[in-house]
Amino acid sequence: MSDLGGTGYDIAMGTYEDAVSMIGHTTPVRFGEAPVNVAMVRHFAAMVRDANAGFWDEDFAAEQWGGCIAPPAMLMTWVMPIEWRPGGALPVPLLTARVPLPGTTFVNASNDTEFFHPIRVGDVLNVSEELVDVSVEKRTALGTGHFVTTCSTFRRQDGTMVARMTNVLFRFGADDA
Amino acid sequence: MIDGVDYSQRYFEDVQPNDELPQVEDLITYRRVIMNPATTWDYFPGHHDPAYARAQGQPTIYVNTMHFLGFIDRMITEWAGPRSFLVRRNVSTLMSIYAGDTMVGSGHVVGTRREEMEGGVRCLVDLELAVTNQHGTPCASVLATVAVPTRAT
Repeated sequence: MSDLGGTGYDIAMGTYEDAVSMIGHTTPVRFGEAPVNVAMVRHFAAMVRDANAGFWDEDFAAEQWGGCIAPPAMLMTWVMPIEWRPGGALPVPLLTARVPLPGTTFVNASNDTEFFHPIRVGDVLNVSEELVDVSVEKRTALGTGHFVTTCSTFRRQDGTMVARMTNVLFRFGADDA
Repeated sequence: MIDGVDYSQRYFEDVQPNDELPQVEDLITYRRVIMNPATTWDYFPGHHDPAYARAQGQPTIYVNTMHFLGFIDRMITEWAGPRSFLVRRNVSTLMSIYAGDTMVGSGHVVGTRREEMEGGVRCLVDLELAVTNQHGTPCASVLATVAVPTRAT
């Protein structure tokens, strides 16, 4: 297994009962590292080959949205932890990785997001995450584990809620062959 | 106006249930998967380390959720136009897209509706989309709602 340290993906280990006892836990509001910015927007748009005028044409974007917008898909990017800071403070992992369970790894299972306002260049987003549910043990093609449901509320610097996301992640260990 | 940007806009009155979205195909090279951590700051090793992916039971590195979402958002706004606003999308990921695969997106209109909101009415289009790989294996199923402008003022 490769190094998960410093990535924000250090996985907390524990039992199903430990995880269940965390249901209802809500994280303190955490701000993103960088404001929404054109460089990251266009790099992402290049990756998915998205020619949306709102990302590329500042005149159009100003008239339509009041400025360049970010792809809705980048929502989580704006609050991603970074792996190093001056002074050596460790990144705060996402809540999904902090739920204690036996599974050593995970894959995402579903993502349901509602958007209330466009996310614009210059916005600084923050997030608060809540652990909503941990399933009983399930067996899938990848292995045996638990489905972890979190609900994240994203706000911009003026306090306006811009999006709400419910994510389900499968936390598992590969079955022995 | 910028070359290569499509400014054409779809209006509420243009949309009918069962209208099909154009199919989109995109070859996901190894480099495109590596663009996931570069563009989204998602350094989960399944998206850049083939040895980690294999230890997870996967053949090689695979695209992250944000790449799936970005591909889906692109499909929706390429069809709906740049004055549309994504209101909601619910994505179930069923199978990974691995480096070397082709993402194939398709979709259709489920229905249209008007929704009362503070400050007026908005015009919504409900969509159902699917992402498969080049073998036709379902990789993601999507329900989405997009707000589009109306010709009526």
